[in-house]
Amino acid sequence: MKELFRGRNIRPFRFIVQLLGLGFMFGQMLGLPPFGTHPMLRRIFLPNASCRYINEAPTSCYYYQLQDGLTQGYTDVYIDVILMLLIVLMLIIALGRIWCSWLCPFGLVQEGLMKLRGSVGIPPLKLKWRTRTLLRRVKYAFLFFTVLLSVPIGIGALGIGGCQSTLALPFCQVCPAKGFFTVAQQLLGLEPWSTGLPWIALCSLLVFLIVGFFIDMAFCRVCPMGGVMALLGRFSLPWLRKDPSKCTKCRICLRVCPLDHDRVYEDMDADDVGSEDCTLCGKCVEMCPEEGCLTMMYGPFSVKSSRRPRKMGLWRSLGKKKGPEANNGK
Amino acid sequence: MENEGPRYLKDRKGYFPKDQRQRTRKRSREMEASVSSDLKKQRNRPGKMAYFDEVLKYGGMRFEELREFHKKGGKIVGTLCVMVPLELVNAAGARSVRMCSGYYEPVHPANELLGDAGLCPMVKSTLGRKMVSSDPLIDLIDLVAGPATCDGKMKLAEILEDWVPVVMMNIPRVKVGETSSDLWVKEIVHLKDRLEELTGHPVRKKALKEELSQWNEANQYWSEIQKLRRSERPPISGRDAMLVVQASQFDDIRRWNRKVKELIEELQRMRTKGIFAGEEGAARILLAGSPMIYPNFKIPSIIEGSGGTIVTDELCSGYRLMSDPVLVDGLSKKEIYQAIAERYFFPCSCPCFSPNDERVRRLKEVIKAFGIEGVVFHTLRGCHLNNLEATKIELALREISVPMVRIESEYDEGDIEQVRTRIEAFVEMIKARREYHRNPILEDVQ
Ligand code: SF4
Ligand code: SF4
Ligand code: SF4
Ligand code: SF4
Repeated sequence: MKELFRGRNIRPFRFIVQLLGLGFMFGQMLGLPPFGTHPMLRRIFLPNASCRYINEAPTSCYYYQLQDGLTQGYTDVYIDVILMLLIVLMLIIALGRIWCSWLCPFGLVQEGLMKLRGSVGIPPLKLKWRTRTLLRRVKYAFLFFTVLLSVPIGIGALGIGGCQSTLALPFCQVCPAKGFFTVAQQLLGLEPWSTGLPWIALCSLLVFLIVGFFIDMAFCRVCPMGGVMALLGRFSLPWLRKDPSKCTKCRICLRVCPLDHDRVYEDMDADDVGSEDCTLCGKCVEMCPEEGCLTMMYGPFSVKSSRRPRKMGLWRSLGKKKGPEANNGK
Repeated sequence: MENEGPRYLKDRKGYFPKDQRQRTRKRSREMEASVSSDLKKQRNRPGKMAYFDEVLKYGGMRFEELREFHKKGGKIVGTLCVMVPLELVNAAGARSVRMCSGYYEPVHPANELLGDAGLCPMVKSTLGRKMVSSDPLIDLIDLVAGPATCDGKMKLAEILEDWVPVVMMNIPRVKVGETSSDLWVKEIVHLKDRLEELTGHPVRKKALKEELSQWNEANQYWSEIQKLRRSERPPISGRDAMLVVQASQFDDIRRWNRKVKELIEELQRMRTKGIFAGEEGAARILLAGSPMIYPNFKIPSIIEGSGGTIVTDELCSGYRLMSDPVLVDGLSKKEIYQAIAERYFFPCSCPCFSPNDERVRRLKEVIKAFGIEGVVFHTLRGCHLNNLEATKIELALREISVPMVRIESEYDEGDIEQVRTRIEAFVEMIKARREYHRNPILEDVQ
C-alpha cells in the first residue's frame, strides 16, 4: 500500500525543521534560555509570526514592528521601520517562503488541524476558484489597511498621545497569535491575569481554529505576512520549478496542494510556478508522478525532485500472495 | 423501464439466422488464430509472451476462468472505454472485461441493422458481437459501463441497453477544471453505486486501497517496459507490447503483474545479450490515432513487416491504459474517489475532449524521448475526432520536421495491399532521410 500514499520524502524532514523553529521562537516560554539578548539581535525581526506578545521574546514578527514603528511617530522612523524592513527583505530573499511551510508556527498549527481532520475522516472543504482568488486579495487588503491605519495614528502621536495607545497595532488586535499567547502565558503563570483578556484576538483565534479545521490552511490564504513574501517571491532564492515538458496535466499537484495553488498545475510556460498562494510545503513535489517534473529549488540548486512512484525494491517478491482468484471479490 | 422492449432491434429473436451466428463465430475464431500465429512468428519473440497470447485467445484460458466465476454467481462488467476505473469494478467484487472489439466479421450484422455504413467499425463490431453473440465471452457480461465519449460510443452504449443493463457515464467533454472534475466524480460515485447494487457487496475502503495499489504496481511495470522500449534496439515489438497491455483489461491484475514481471526480467536478459525484436536498423515509428484492439493488428503488422518497429504509441488501446498511477493524499472516501476520477479524466488525451492541446504537446515530448523518426497516424473510417486532430498534429509535427503518414482503415482485409504500399514507401523515406537527417535524440537513449 505504500506506493499509493507515496513514501513521503519531504514531510518528516520539514516537521523536524518546524519543531526546531518552534523551539527557537518560543522556547523561553517553556523556560529554555532566550536566544541572544544583544540589542543588535533584537533589531532583527522575522518575516512571519513569532509573536511579540511573549514576554522576553527574543525577537518578533516584523509586522508588529511595522505597526509599532509607524504608530510611534516618526522620530526613529529610520531605525524602526526602514532598517527593519531592509533586514526583513534580506531574510525573505534568503529564505523566501521557507519561512512559511518550514518555520511559521501558524503553518504548523494549521497542519495539525488538517491532520486532525484527516484522521477523523472528514474531507477538506474546498473553496471555489472565485472565493480563492478573492481571498488572495484580502491579504493585501490587510496589509494596506494596517499601514493606512497606522500612519494617521503615528501622525496623531506626534501631537496627541491619547489615540495612540487605544488604536495602536491594528493588525495585532485581530491576530490569533495575540489571543493564543496572552492566554497561554496567563495559564502558564508567566503573566498576571490583570493584563486582561484580548477579546477580539481570542475570537479570531477561535475562528482561526474552527475554520482551519475544515478548510486547509485557511489563515495562510489571508495572511499579510505571506502576502509580502508572495510579492517578493520572484526575488527570493527558494522557488518551485516545473518542467512543463514532463507534465501530463494529471492534476495531482493541484489536488494535493493544501492551498489550492493552481499555478503549479495550470502554468505551462513559466519556469517558476510558486508565489501567490504557494507556501513551499513540497507536497506537490512529493506527489507528482513524473520524473523530474516538479523541483524544489534553492537558487540554481535543485533540492528535491518529483519522481515516479516506486516501492522499496520494485522487484519485491510477489510469490507470497494467494492465487490469482483467491483474494478477490469478498 | 418505461419503454418496454427493444428500441433498435424490432425483432430480437430470429432476426439473424442461426447460421449467421455460427459463421460469425467461426470467422472470428479463425481471424484470431491467424493473427495470433502471425505474432508467434516474430523474430526473437520472448518466451514469456505465450501467457499473454493465452489471455486474449478467443475462448481461451481466461474465458474459461471467467465462465467458472460467472457460474458461481460472480458478476462480469464490460467496459467500453479506458476511462472506466477498473480498480473500482474489481473492488466491488466484479471482474472487468474490455468490450471493444477488434473482430472484423461482426461488423456485417451491425451494418445490416443500423443502416449507418459510415459509422466507426469498432463500434459496429462491438455491437455486432453482442447482437449475434459471436463470442461466448460477451454473453457473460452482466453490466456495461460506457462513458459517453465520442458519438459512436455514446450510441453504442444506448443501443446495447436492448441486450444488457448499461451504466451510461456522462463524461464532461469540455475540460475546464473544477466543474468538470466535480461532475466526473459524481459519475464515478454513481458507477460505484451501480456496481454495489450489481454484486451486493459494498465497496470497502480496504479492498479499494488494495486494488489501487495493485493497479499502481501494474503501472510501474508498464513504465519499466516503456523504458526498455526506449533503447536503441527495443527487445519487444510494438505489437507484443500492445498485446501485453491489452491483456491487463481482461486478466486478473495480480497474476498479470506477476507475469509482466517475469517478462521484464526476460527482456532485460535479452537486452544484456544484445537480442532485440524486429530488423536491424528498423525505422522507429510511433503509432497514433484511433484505437487498435486485438485482433485488429492489421496496421501494426504491416508496419513491423515492412522494416519499421513501433517504438511506442499514443493509443488508448496502448500506453494510455497504464500511463498514470492513482495517488491518494487524504484518507476519506471522498478524496479517494476524487483521486480515482481525476486520474481517469485529466491526463487522458482522448480527442473527444476540448481543449485537447495536451495531446500535441505530449506527442512531441514522446517523439523526443523515444527517438521517433516517423509517425503513423491511423484513423478508423468514421472517426471524425481523430481525423480532425490528425490535421492539427500533422502541422505541429511539421514544425519539428518529423514526417507523418495518415492511414484510414476499415475492419476488413481488402485494403491491406494498399496500406502496405504506402507504409513501405514511408519507411523507405525515413531510412533515406537518415543520411542527412540523423535523429539527434537517438544518441542519448541508453
Ligand atoms: S499578534 Fe500577530 S501580528 Fe502581532 S506580533 Fe503577534 S504574530 Fe505578529
Ligand atoms: S502564510 Fe501561513 S505559513 Fe506563511 S507566515 Fe502566514 S500564516 Fe505563516
Ligand atoms: S502532478 Fe506533476 S505531472 Fe501532474 S499535473 Fe502536476 S506537475 Fe503535471
Ligand atoms: S504548490 Fe506545492 S509547495 Fe506550494 S503550497 Fe501547494 S503543494 Fe505546497
